[in-house]
Parts: sequence; structure tokens; C-alpha cells
Amino acid sequence: MADDVRRLSEELARDPGSRVFVPLGEALRRQGQLDLALKFTLRGLERHPHFADGHDLLARVSVDRGELQKAFDEWDMVLRLAPGHLGALKGMGFVCFQQGRLAQAEEYLSAAAAQGDGDEQVASAIEHVREARRDRAERPRDPSRLPTGTAHDPRFLFADVLSEAEQTALLLDRDGLVLAGAYVAWDGRDVGQEVGAELSGVTDAARRATTHLSLGEWSSIVFETEVAVVAMTPSTNDGLLVLATSRATPLGLVRRLLDRCAERARRWQGGRI
Amino acid sequence: MIARPFASILDGLIRQRWVTAALVVSERDGIVVESNLQIGQSGDRMAALAASLYRKARLSASAAGLGAVSFMQLEAPAGRICAVGGGDLVLVVVAEPAVNVGLVRVEMLRAVGELLAIGGEAA
Repeated sequence: MADDVRRLSEELARDPGSRVFVPLGEALRRQGQLDLALKFTLRGLERHPHFADGHDLLARVSVDRGELQKAFDEWDMVLRLAPGHLGALKGMGFVCFQQGRLAQAEEYLSAAAAQGDGDEQVASAIEHVREARRDRAERPRDPSRLPTGTAHDPRFLFADVLSEAEQTALLLDRDGLVLAGAYVAWDGRDVGQEVGAELSGVTDAARRATTHLSLGEWSSIVFETEVAVVAMTPSTNDGLLVLATSRATPLGLVRRLLDRCAERARRWQGGRI
Repeated sequence: MIARPFASILDGLIRQRWVTAALVVSERDGIVVESNLQIGQSGDRMAALAASLYRKARLSASAAGLGAVSFMQLEAPAGRICAVGGGDLVLVVVAEPAVNVGLVRVEMLRAVGELLAIGGEAA
């Protein structure tokens, strides 16, 4: 493998305009040298911006770097340049599955299967996606459709404030433990405790930053991720309110929802609900 | 002559109304790579704190299964901190509360590609 990299590097040095940057980038990616792989791929694409395999490589490097949306966008570009590109269809199916977009994942993988080369991996992936879709359909996911008798269950504190199934809110205490609300993952599981524990650590960094920069006590943090928009605001007794919505939710609406949930949390903690 | 590879990004951001500082920071160690600050501000401290905050948000989101973080903003009574990541670099903007965050966000997300490209060259 190291020999391959050396040979391909020499070849690229001899002819910087060649397309050998693709096998070179792929070899580096397989070795886990992602920064170098990215560097060679971007340079290669500067010379060959319409080379589908170059964009395919950039997408695979992006997946390895944990940048799923970027990978998806690159594969989308590949399909524009080379309609029906098998690697792009498989890759987009993978990204959609990771993002919980199961219907689209099945569409892309089915399109890959239709290329007709009998790829067993694709067939297995389709079966996996279908199984996940069946599993999801069987689980109650929308907290606004509450079972009867749960009106006083703190897990459903924000159910009527949130308007869509892709919106979820959690109220955490100062130790990051869930007081109320739920965080429902795409597969229907409540992962509130795990998400709360991870996200509550951000508040220490926020407090340090605002104190040292003399900005006053922080009032909200919003960050956009590949699959969600997450908004946080401090709550009573050093608690934390976390709201997560789908990427499709406009940021202005996220802020309004955060305010509404914060008000609901205050009333609940004040014993007014 | 000192090379300023991120000058166009930073100069574009600092020109936005109410923006008081724009910096490119190494996410790993919080060291300033390049900055454009208003007089009297300490870039080093700002860079370290903002990079630490962004890094924490990125790691937390990843651990919570939310994927990679693109844009982050923190709001406080006396100002805002906005950050976007590009490879090992973080582009940070500090602004007064009246800033148009929507505009800053668009400019910052637009700069990510450039950040990645130049950051890759510099690495």
C-alpha cells in the first residue's frame, strides 16, 4: 500500500494534470490519511472539475471525515455528471440511512440494484433499510399523539408546544439528568438521557466564553448539524432546556419554539402546571 | 511581507455592521491562525474560548448521534459568538447584539469551502 502511494505520488509529480489523483487519494483514504487524501482530491478537482470519479472520491473522503451532508452533495454532483453512477447511488443510500431518511435510502439503493450487477451488498442494504422502515412503522413516534392517561407524565411536557414529529425537547437538571421531555431518535427510541448527558457539557464552555469575553450570562446556543438544528437555553436552578428540530425547520421558528418550551418549563418547575 | 491567506474572508466579515472580530482559529489548540479585530481586543483569548466552545459542541453533537456541526451561534446580552468549522480550522465571528445574524451566517457558510481549500494548502 505504501509502495502504491509512493508510485502514484511520483506519477502525479511527473504529470500534475493526470487523473491519477483518484487512485492516490483512494489509497491515502484507505490508509486513514484523510487530510492528505482531501488535499490531493481538491487539487485534482481544480484541474478536472467535471470528473465524476473525482467527486465520488471526495464524497467517500467526506464520509470518513464524518461529513455526511457534504458527501451527499458530492454524490449528487456525481449523478449530474454521470447519471446512474453506481457508487453515488450506493453512497447516497448510505447517507440517507444514516440520517434516518429511510424512504429515500430505499429509493437510492433500489436504483443501485436496478443497475443489475447483482451486488450482494446492495441487496443486503435494501433488506436492512426495509426492516428499519417496518420497525419504525410499528413504533409510536409522535409524542403529540399521546396515549390516554399521560397528561401528567413529564415525558410529554412539551408535546403540545411542539408542532411536528421531528421536533423534540428535553429539560435537564444541573447534572445533565432528564427532568422532563423526551428525545425520540429516528428509530423510535427515547435517547434523552444519552443526548442530555452529551449536550449539557457544552454549557460549561459557553459560560467560560461569555464570562471571559464580558458578554454576560449566555441566553441561547443554536447549532446546526447534519441531521438536526439544536437549540439550548438555561433553565431554572442551573438546568438546561434542549430543543431539537429537523434541518428543515427555519431558524426563526426554532427560536420561537425554544421560547415557548422555556416558558412551559418555567411554569412546570414553578408548580404552575 | 506577512502572508494573509484568509484576508478576503476576514475582511469581508469584519465589514459587516456590528461585527467586532473575525478570526480563523485552529480547533485543536485554539491558536489564532489569522484575525481581523477591532482595536483593544485580545484575539488570543477570544480564539481559545471560541474554539473550545465549537469543539465541545461538535464533539457533543457527534456523540449524541446528531452528525457534524456546521454553524453554531451563542447569544448573550452583550454580544454573540458565531462559528463554522472547515477541517481543522474554525472561523469565528464576535459581534454586538444588534448584528444581523442571518447575514453573518450566510457569509460564514459561504466561506467554508475557501477555508477548507486554503486550510488544506496551509496544512
